[in-house]
Amino acid sequence: MTGGLRISAALALPIGLLLTVTVAAHHSAAAAYDETKRVEAQGTVTKILVRNPHSWVFLESADDKGQKIEWQIEMGGAPSMAWAKDAMPIGTVVKVVGHPSRAPGTHGITGAAFAKTDGTPLGPRGTR
Amino acid sequence: MTSTIGRLSPQRCFGIGTCAILLTAMSGHALPVLHAQSARAQYEPPAAAGTVPDLAGTWDGTRRAHPTNSATVPWARTVPEGTILPDGTRAGKDYVSNFPVLNERALAFQKIFDEPLSPKYDCQPSTPPALEYDPFNMELVQWPDRVLLRYEKDDQLRTVWLDGRQPTARNYGIQGFSVGRYEGNALLVETTHYVFDVTGFDDYNGIPSSQQKKVTERYWREGEQLKVTVTVEDPLFLRKPASYTMRYLPAPKGYKLKPFDCDPEAARLSVQFIPPKYK
Repeated sequence: MTGGLRISAALALPIGLLLTVTVAAHHSAAAAYDETKRVEAQGTVTKILVRNPHSWVFLESADDKGQKIEWQIEMGGAPSMAWAKDAMPIGTVVKVVGHPSRAPGTHGITGAAFAKTDGTPLGPRGTR
Repeated sequence: MTSTIGRLSPQRCFGIGTCAILLTAMSGHALPVLHAQSARAQYEPPAAAGTVPDLAGTWDGTRRAHPTNSATVPWARTVPEGTILPDGTRAGKDYVSNFPVLNERALAFQKIFDEPLSPKYDCQPSTPPALEYDPFNMELVQWPDRVLLRYEKDDQLRTVWLDGRQPTARNYGIQGFSVGRYEGNALLVETTHYVFDVTGFDDYNGIPSSQQKKVTERYWREGEQLKVTVTVEDPLFLRKPASYTMRYLPAPKGYKLKPFDCDPEAARLSVQFIPPKYK
């Protein structure tokens, strides 16, 4: 397991604008996620739910104090997720960047872009 | 039929009993046929043969065909010049807002609306005017007395009756009751008898719809594209009708609609991320 979490408030506006271009936000994501901010995380893929209306990727990670946390990453519907299980087998360590969930103490992400630990992109960017 | 019975005159029968059996058997089979023929004779097709526009097919309603729905698509107050619009054209300088003009009742609903109340988190299907625009494929089937609209989104099937029937008080339902007719090169669909839906206008802006919601759709072909103008009236919530025009593209050859199979767990998972509005 590898961990990591970084929310960049200072970069929120410009990066948020950049993500707005790339993110195909679907449905009322703004109620659950702050689309003006971004969060970065790294963790181990533990589960992928390819479902409708939205798919989910679960990462096991750790916070800055070393406490285990689970990232729940909301993705697009099943038709847009054909790539995920092959590109990110269970147990793979990946990086993710996207918009953080709003409710305090939660670890949700949407509009996510995945990458290998060396930065190589995995799958489409910013789908939901 | 008369000539057939005539040929079975008693003189040609082997006996009265045999003849009676044959006549009874014929009557028993003939009557339902006569009824059916009578019903068909009374049915008048909605348009003369050859004048019904060919709208049938499997249509691509994904982001390939139009921008994905969001809080500002397809309902937008302003659009920068050059933006690709839902009908595939680009916005000009003179773009006119199509955002619904809400009355006080709608504004009050919007104010107290709490996102987790949205029925979509429990897999309740989307309804017009949102259903058509969701980024999924759709199949349109034209039969003489009806049009079938089958949506990949939420596995919904809408039947548009062309035979003149009208809804009754028993026809209220989540997708309402649809009647239609062909007008020139277009199919016109009018849907009423919706049930109240707390997010029945769309699921972005917390705008409800009432039992008085009426959705009018006009479908027509432009080359390879299927276009539709969707207009919503709801005097309980809207000050005036609101409408958008969008396009579908032909789905890839041989494409079959896939089951949606909305998963309640996946649908509700994000509710935990919404800060509670009420305690």
